[in-house]
Amino acid sequence: MIDRRTFIGAGAALLATAAAMPAARAKGTGMIFVSTEKGNEVVVLDQSLNLVKRIATSRRPRDMHFNAGKDLLYVACGDDDAIDVIDVATLEVVDSIPTGPSPEVFAFSPDEKIIYVSNEEDSRLEAIDLETRVSIQDIPTGAEPEGVLVMPDGKTAYVTSEVADMVHVVDTTTGAVTKNILVGTRPRRFILTPDQSELWVSCELSSEIFIIDTATNEIKGESLIYVPDGFREEDVTPVGMAVTRDGSKVLISLGRANHVVIVDARSHDVLSYVLVGRRAWSVDLSSDETKAYVANGLSDDITVIDMASMKATVSVPVGRVPHSVVIDD
Amino acid sequence: MTSDPSAPYTSPFGGGVGAKRRVRGPSSAPSVGQGPLTLTLSPKGEGTLWPHLGKALLSLAAALVMGSAAIAADVRIGYLGLKDDLRYHPEVAYTRIEIAPALNPVEGARLGINDLKIVTDAAGVSLSLDEQQATDAADASAKVAAMAAAGERFVILDLPGDVAREVVAASAALPITLVNATAPQDALRDLCQPNLVHTGASDRMVADTYTQFLRHRNWTKVLILVGNLPRDKEIADAFEASARRLRLDIRDRREFTLSTDPANREANNTLLITGGTDYDVVFIADSLGEYARYLDYATRLPRPVIGATGLTASEWHWSWDRDGATQVTLRFQRLAEGRRLMSGPDWSTWIAAKSIATAYAKARTDDPAKVYEYMRGSRFTIDGSKGYRLNFRPWDGQLRMPMVLATSNAITEAAPFPEFLHQTNELDTLGVDQPESKCKAP
Repeated sequence: MIDRRTFIGAGAALLATAAAMPAARAKGTGMIFVSTEKGNEVVVLDQSLNLVKRIATSRRPRDMHFNAGKDLLYVACGDDDAIDVIDVATLEVVDSIPTGPSPEVFAFSPDEKIIYVSNEEDSRLEAIDLETRVSIQDIPTGAEPEGVLVMPDGKTAYVTSEVADMVHVVDTTTGAVTKNILVGTRPRRFILTPDQSELWVSCELSSEIFIIDTATNEIKGESLIYVPDGFREEDVTPVGMAVTRDGSKVLISLGRANHVVIVDARSHDVLSYVLVGRRAWSVDLSSDETKAYVANGLSDDITVIDMASMKATVSVPVGRVPHSVVIDD
Repeated sequence: MTSDPSAPYTSPFGGGVGAKRRVRGPSSAPSVGQGPLTLTLSPKGEGTLWPHLGKALLSLAAALVMGSAAIAADVRIGYLGLKDDLRYHPEVAYTRIEIAPALNPVEGARLGINDLKIVTDAAGVSLSLDEQQATDAADASAKVAAMAAAGERFVILDLPGDVAREVVAASAALPITLVNATAPQDALRDLCQPNLVHTGASDRMVADTYTQFLRHRNWTKVLILVGNLPRDKEIADAFEASARRLRLDIRDRREFTLSTDPANREANNTLLITGGTDYDVVFIADSLGEYARYLDYATRLPRPVIGATGLTASEWHWSWDRDGATQVTLRFQRLAEGRRLMSGPDWSTWIAAKSIATAYAKARTDDPAKVYEYMRGSRFTIDGSKGYRLNFRPWDGQLRMPMVLATSNAITEAAPFPEFLHQTNELDTLGVDQPESKCKAP
């Protein structure tokens, strides 16, 4: 089922990093979880990329997040209007939280009492009380809301609308949209820099990354466009992003351009373009930041990037239309 | 491109590649362009694409300035359809069983206005549709003139080609942008009229979709069947021109008739009309679809049929499930109260309304002439939920778009096909490209 495809010339690097892995791992199982939109399952791989389990979920699993204790994994399942909860120890779905229609991306409040989820179909950001399962806020957004990010102080949430080309700023106390920030075409996801000063927004169809100054909620400076050699700007459809803990590097998946770009977070210069699979979307870093994992939606695989050499080391088939990757380490 | 290339390509430390930075922020954006939501009310309309703009716009803009300090403009967008439009009749078998429901593409335009409401609201522009139906071409021209006189500056035309052509000619000097959504005739594109854009696919774009597909599959021998209506001939001519360019081998072009008259059986019997020659595929140009309905599995040779039946090219098909297309289809279905699924003409009116609304929201002006200038400009980008960024061709005002090839319940392929490269934009492999066009970019 899961077989390993190693890039020629990169095998040695893979072995070296694989050998170094166990020492770096203090806690966590090291398991890699991949949601597959059309497979209706979360695929679990171990650190050597061997299949551990295929966990059947509700239909169309997409965004995933661990709780802070990393004993539970939450999975938004778009076609069954639910967020499934997987017990990381037993790898079983132990619970399912009902949501509004077509949940796509979600975030927790800092105290983990509230889930903020974008419901793609009815154009709402919904706040669900985790204990009572009651929807406590239902905030209208532009059509097709997607990316959700809650600030660490829990007072502000950001949500993108793919159709309105906007980032909505939401006051979580009142549930009111306090500002709309017009960005590029089809804004998708967010990352917050570790110093919390910058919110990066990927805009899929205008190929741009916008940076929002979180102090003023204004767009900061110029938008960024990364075009790998041999591609045109319109081939570049950025979606997923990840940032290193020291805030020095940002990884951005370039979608149809089949690359991930690694950039210097401060100068915005390109450090490396890494060829991955077809329609690269979500990106996640291992907690020791030696590896990055990319979900390739149209080639049904994930690609592992070695962060030291900034090269792809291996791609592993997982299942139909991989959406997100998270790592328990 | 595959996921396991033998040598992963990287460009370490940006050597020669580098980050591309496009300044699109507020710091140095020109007055017309995307930026934060500040409304610049400009009473001037000079340097625009509209001729004879004159005082109408000045007074309109003045009225807007006087309106309200915070939220300013109520903008009416015209929508002109044709009463009893033959193209949209429900497809009915003679027993009155409904094969397909009646179309009413105004629902697409309504969806486009709804979809963008939050963003136009934020920009201080309140858009509404002025939905009208004309009885004939003269009435349609009069209605467009009345819309312009009432201060409307954009009108979506949902008219058949012959009616659209008269309206376009009569409205050349009016201070109103005509957005032709559903007339596919290339002759309309060849008018090169500055106040005219097209959001539906042209006949040639549809034809190029088929011929790229045939090249892609290497099905090069084609039998063309065509009806005797003028529209059937237009469709077949566009296909032939495209097929000639891609050096397909047209084995024959034969005209079918609907009768079962035995004296004329060579033209009405499906086995006879498809006999006597070898081919890989049959292309049928049948605007009413009544003959095509009986052609699948009824050809002399066991060959696939494309065109009016079998595999059909269109702007849209409800089964597209990527790029947010499903959400658009479902929103449409809710708006149409479940009566029908979203079709090609619905997409064309949807994207027409969406283009106008997006331009109003992002042009950072509510001077309609500048809004139009922004919409036609290189900075304009719109999401048609087909995975590509779309914009208007500067030379003939045609919206660039990918096309789908669908059976009754699935999308088999989408064009442009990867084999067809282009020096500037792959979407320009579909339709009349700049060097062949009679129009010049402004």
